[in-house]
Amino acid sequence: MTETIELALKALETQLNQPLETALEACARCGICAEACHYYRAEPKVEHIPAFRAEQLRSIHRYEHDFLSRLFPVWTRSKKLDEATLANLTEIAFSQCTLCRRCTVNCPLGVDTPLMMRAIRGMASTTGTAPEILVMLADAAIEKGKDPSFYKEMFLAQIREMEEQLRDITGDQDAEIPVDKQGARILYVPLAGAHTILPPAIVFNTAKEDWTLSIFEASNYGVFLADMDRAKQVAKRIVDEANRLGVGEIVISECGHAYSSYRWDVPNWFPGEFNFKVRSLIEVIADHIADGRIKVDPTVIPEAVTYHDSCNLARNGGLIEEPRFVLDRITTDFREMTPNKAEALCCGGGGGLVALAEYDELRIAAGKPKADQIKNTGARVVVAACENCRLQIGELNEHYDLNVSITALTDLVVRAMRLPKPLTGGEGEDLFEGERALATKD
Amino acid sequence: MLIYQLIALAGLIAGLFGICLRYAATRLRSLPADRSPSKGDIPRGIKYAFTAGMMPWAKESTRIHRIAYLRGIGLHVGVFVAIGVVIISPFWESLPALLSRALFWVLMLGALLGAAGGIMRLLEHTLRGLSLPDDHFAVWLTTIFIATAGLALSNEAFMIPMYIVSAITFVYIPLGKIRHCLYFFFSRIFFGKFFGRRAVFPHPQRAK
Repeated sequence: MTETIELALKALETQLNQPLETALEACARCGICAEACHYYRAEPKVEHIPAFRAEQLRSIHRYEHDFLSRLFPVWTRSKKLDEATLANLTEIAFSQCTLCRRCTVNCPLGVDTPLMMRAIRGMASTTGTAPEILVMLADAAIEKGKDPSFYKEMFLAQIREMEEQLRDITGDQDAEIPVDKQGARILYVPLAGAHTILPPAIVFNTAKEDWTLSIFEASNYGVFLADMDRAKQVAKRIVDEANRLGVGEIVISECGHAYSSYRWDVPNWFPGEFNFKVRSLIEVIADHIADGRIKVDPTVIPEAVTYHDSCNLARNGGLIEEPRFVLDRITTDFREMTPNKAEALCCGGGGGLVALAEYDELRIAAGKPKADQIKNTGARVVVAACENCRLQIGELNEHYDLNVSITALTDLVVRAMRLPKPLTGGEGEDLFEGERALATKD
Repeated sequence: MLIYQLIALAGLIAGLFGICLRYAATRLRSLPADRSPSKGDIPRGIKYAFTAGMMPWAKESTRIHRIAYLRGIGLHVGVFVAIGVVIISPFWESLPALLSRALFWVLMLGALLGAAGGIMRLLEHTLRGLSLPDDHFAVWLTTIFIATAGLALSNEAFMIPMYIVSAITFVYIPLGKIRHCLYFFFSRIFFGKFFGRRAVFPHPQRAK
């Protein structure tokens, strides 16, 4: 057994807890999960059935842990892990599964196939066989956390410039984008890009919110890698910042995996309980609209609008009605996709897939069911509250000639706020040089 | 007959022992703590996972594959009824005739649906691609188990085959694919905990 294989098996063993063992043992191979997967819908073949994918790891697990399988491997098609099998597993976990959990919801037994795909990703990360780009992105974020002063000055200079824009758009000369504000109620964590700072800043200033901007971005590529060490280091930057500033809550930008991980997973990675809540920007906006702290006019948006449920926000995050509450108040012609909410189809961009250029063709092909869904609504505007979904739907738009515009929910809210000046130009400026460029493969 | 009854009993004890070992082994694994504040209701999530969430209309997959799902339900009902029928076999004579007849038909239907499932596994391209030798064996073994239990209810000549097949089935439960009967419960509990905590299932219609 080579060192790599030994490491991989050790990584599997380390991750083998009750839920993972259950997922590995429970499948009856009934195949009912097939159509739940967008890869299968786009190209119906056995290899695209979630159960088949999971079976590749199960065969290894059975060989290691099952008496009958060790004795008669042919009977359960069990096999000893080797380099070629590990490479195949890695390929499957990073290119053919977006960890959307649609198969889990549709499985009569509730088998958590994404948990197994995560286990494979964890094995790949441990053995150094995971996609290099994801490792680089995670490491870049970790380095930034070690010495933020290196880029902070430049970041602050860009924020001051953005404040000018903010004042111009809102007509409020006192409007500001506070950074490092001690004791603020909200620590807002953006993504890599001014487009995730300016629109929320408009909302926060209009609502007279007590907030401060994080100097870090919400993305956590360690999560995509299922590399707990890296994921913790990336998350720790923001947890430490929140503790240092003594904020009441962390508010995560419109980002599926960041929200899902900070809301549901990160609290388990650190000892003790957090002194702050974790919420999505969407929840805060919904509250501000409900409380009348921001006024919106739905007649500003006469176009037919549809909403794409990010898997990490809806099915895996529980944010289902909040975006709809907001859309209900800012649009006049809202059209649901079918299916939607917890049953929504994955766009194909999740799980870090949009950052992996080598799988572009497969990713765009797997996005076909989502493209068809969008087309069927007849909507001209697609709202997606997740950056990776927006990137993916943007590419689907071009590839499948959807002729739609894709927007973040906050941008649409700002449009409905009837500000003195519209939100145009310059919002896409990159504040986190390098990372976004890598993520979008420009 | 007693010897065959003892063989079946030995099989049942061995099967139960194996399942208990599997249960203990899984329970010895760590259970990850979840300290994130719950948005929903975990007990309701678990309840949903075992009740409304199992209905044929609850999932897109079972709406698409309604017949396959009902076929599976029929087979599983047959298996559980057959286990009960075999266990109480020494007391069959005291069963009311109507109940005995009803059990016979339930078992025959279960066996028929099991056979249909076994044939589909052989004929349907995707299902065949997914299936292991273990899967084929398990579906036919349980089908024969149900069938012999049903036939023995109406004809004493099937008593010995029933006990022999029962013993094989019971022993095979923890060894092969049939052990998913244990992990079904783990899986649905984890499903209910995960989605219940997040208020995804059951889902409140309006959050605000």
